Amino acid sequence: MATITVEEREAIRDTARRLLADRSTEADVRRTMESESGYDPALWRQLGELGLLGLIVDEAHGGAGAGAMELEAVMEEMGAALLCGPFLSSSVLAASLLNALGDRGAQDRLLPSLADGSKIATVAITGPQGTWTQDGVAITAQEKRGAWTLDGPAFFVAHGQIANVLLVVARTDDGFAVFEVEAKAAGMHIDPLPTFDHTLRLANISLNNVAACKLNSTRPAWDAIEDALDVARVALAGEQAGAGAKVLAFTVDYTKNRFQFGRAIGGFQAIKHMAADLLLESESANSAARYAARALAESAPDAKAAISLAAFACADAFSTITATAIQMHGGIAFTWAHPAHLYLRRARADAQLFGTSNFHRERYLTELGAPA
Amino acid sequence: MSETRQAGDALREEVRAWLAENWDPKLYKSRGGADWTSTPEQRAWLAKVVEARWAVPRWSAEWFGRGLDDAEARIIEREFARVGAPGAGQDRSNLWANTALAHATPPFKAKIVPALLRGEVAMCLLYSEPGAGSDLAGVRTRADAHSDQRGDQRGDQRGDQRGDHFVVNGQKVWTSGAATADYGMLIARTDWDAPKHKGISFFFCPMKQKGVDVRPLRQITNESHFNEVFLTDVIVPAENLLGPLNGGWGVLQTALAYERSVMGEGARGPRSGVAESEGEEPLIALAREAGRLSDPVLRQEIAKAIAHKKLNALNTARAKADLAQGTSSSIMSLGKLAMSRILHEEARVRTLILGAQSMLEGQAYPRAEDANFLALNAYFTSIGGGTDQIQRNIIGERVLGLPKEPEVDRDVPFRAVRSGATPKGTKKD
Repeated sequence: MATITVEEREAIRDTARRLLADRSTEADVRRTMESESGYDPALWRQLGELGLLGLIVDEAHGGAGAGAMELEAVMEEMGAALLCGPFLSSSVLAASLLNALGDRGAQDRLLPSLADGSKIATVAITGPQGTWTQDGVAITAQEKRGAWTLDGPAFFVAHGQIANVLLVVARTDDGFAVFEVEAKAAGMHIDPLPTFDHTLRLANISLNNVAACKLNSTRPAWDAIEDALDVARVALAGEQAGAGAKVLAFTVDYTKNRFQFGRAIGGFQAIKHMAADLLLESESANSAARYAARALAESAPDAKAAISLAAFACADAFSTITATAIQMHGGIAFTWAHPAHLYLRRARADAQLFGTSNFHRERYLTELGAPA
Repeated sequence: MSETRQAGDALREEVRAWLAENWDPKLYKSRGGADWTSTPEQRAWLAKVVEARWAVPRWSAEWFGRGLDDAEARIIEREFARVGAPGAGQDRSNLWANTALAHATPPFKAKIVPALLRGEVAMCLLYSEPGAGSDLAGVRTRADAHSDQRGDQRGDQRGDQRGDHFVVNGQKVWTSGAATADYGMLIARTDWDAPKHKGISFFFCPMKQKGVDVRPLRQITNESHFNEVFLTDVIVPAENLLGPLNGGWGVLQTALAYERSVMGEGARGPRSGVAESEGEEPLIALAREAGRLSDPVLRQEIAKAIAHKKLNALNTARAKADLAQGTSSSIMSLGKLAMSRILHEEARVRTLILGAQSMLEGQAYPRAEDANFLALNAYFTSIGGGTDQIQRNIIGERVLGLPKEPEVDRDVPFRAVRSGATPKGTKKD
């Protein structure tokens, strides 16, 4: 990976910010979230052309060769703009899983098309309990004369209904492995789920004797999966921090312009103190997300602790900020037309992805040397 | 650029040479910090530093300085720090001397500034009152101007002085070091008909006189770090007035700014805030010792409490990085509010871990002592130096730009302003 300077990172962030200010306005978000696919193919192509879809794909495979810190910065902007689309599924989780497994053939086959946006991929790990852990994996793989087939379900697969390719985690006789499966493969059923966060797409999938290509791994596959999940957790933390900061900004702005009892409501301590508390939440989330990104980029010894800290700090901060923001606005934010609830919906979905806050607090303590 | 560097090198050599010749760590056994004036040897060292113009190099030559810029002055401070010698950097850190230099009358300044730099006088703060805490401009301690006849009548230490003086009456609180102080930096009301901010004056009040009654204040922690100071007909020479009569609020702002910058320096110390402290997190160690580390509910609470601490360290580190890049950071202003939550939460979780044992106290139960002490002492941070609620006002107004609190007493003659806790049915004058 090429070394990226602070200036270059900020330039990448600016690229994302400018594009999204133009193409992911509230009106765009509302239109896209009501569409069936849940993303705007034209915007998706533009994200590809600007190098953002291949942000963490290496240059040899048509990507930007950036790392966790750039990814986190871009995700702050995507969160603030409530971008609709499979960025987290395809450009982050699937790409980082391919990076982590190290199967050169699969990388050559898939990474260039993920980077230019011509293909969308997602990862199927989750079991019926909605955990991203080993015990949740409910798909099994069998080998007959060198050919692999998959059977079983996976749940809450993000953007499963629009993916061209699924990277499916399955149990084999030799432990976990990752398989590449075409969405159109015979025996593959994809059932879209109705989502509370309308900017998100989820699907349950079930596989019945589906032919699959087993991906090689240079190390135990679950280690690679865990690494890919950690990249996605950093990205998600960035999204939460960026979105939370945006919500706080428009909420504070509103309290300066909403007059009741002859005063701007932000002048009342009841509101002012809520805002001050949220600023602490927001800045802490930002610090945690950026620190986790740096720790991951530098392979710091405390990287896993930093990532879990960011995961629960950012999830909780984003949830608190959006929930409190609606209360601070009053009646206007109880209306569908106001954007606050879109962020609240995103916050509630984000709080479940890749492990809940409770899960990450548990992992944080374990990483600090105190396993249960 | 290279000329600047050469000048810096020359200065560094000069300081090193002087320290090599004069500093003897064995002779002047350093205790470090603000307490560093307790022995005659220590004061003699400070006098030497002042004389050699290392104490306040940013100040002008007229006032023991060298007129250096910040970067040059830092070179001197670094060299002193390198060998562990105190006394440098007082132009940043000596609250008392900086305030006196900026605002004292010429005759008083000439006496007090060198004495402060040499550590020859001990100081205390006479700001807060029982009825003026968060609302400091509501002070009711009074300073009344008198001609010198009264001093003559008393026949005490002021009797031979010419000129006017002030007579001070009132009560101050939360004063540390009052019993040993030579002077207290005092704010007192000098005009009761002006609005509250415009009738306050700022004095160096001599503490070693009849009429100054210092009583230790017993805290909820059962310690006594602070005093109440009762002032009865205390005499303050007119030359001890800092700034204009009734202009004390402005002087106080300078003094508070120095106080905050010194506290800010402390926060920007060598602790990076990022690296985890060596050894185990205290809450984990406590839960392990109590055999409760496998309790899943407690584990959640422990992780939350540790996270508060870690997040604050990360915020501080980010603020420092912003400052280093020349971007001003709003994060610094969040630190005190964050610290208050950290301390209250740590106390709460310690108590959860201990359970029934937290009902005990005394040396035989040190864990209970710790938890209970923390639970009480956390208020030192959430009330002292501006309550959490005042802190939220400041963050809301100065950082987020929300409208300021209405000040119903701003343009009212102070005489007509109500303050303190007045019991129902009683009348205050």
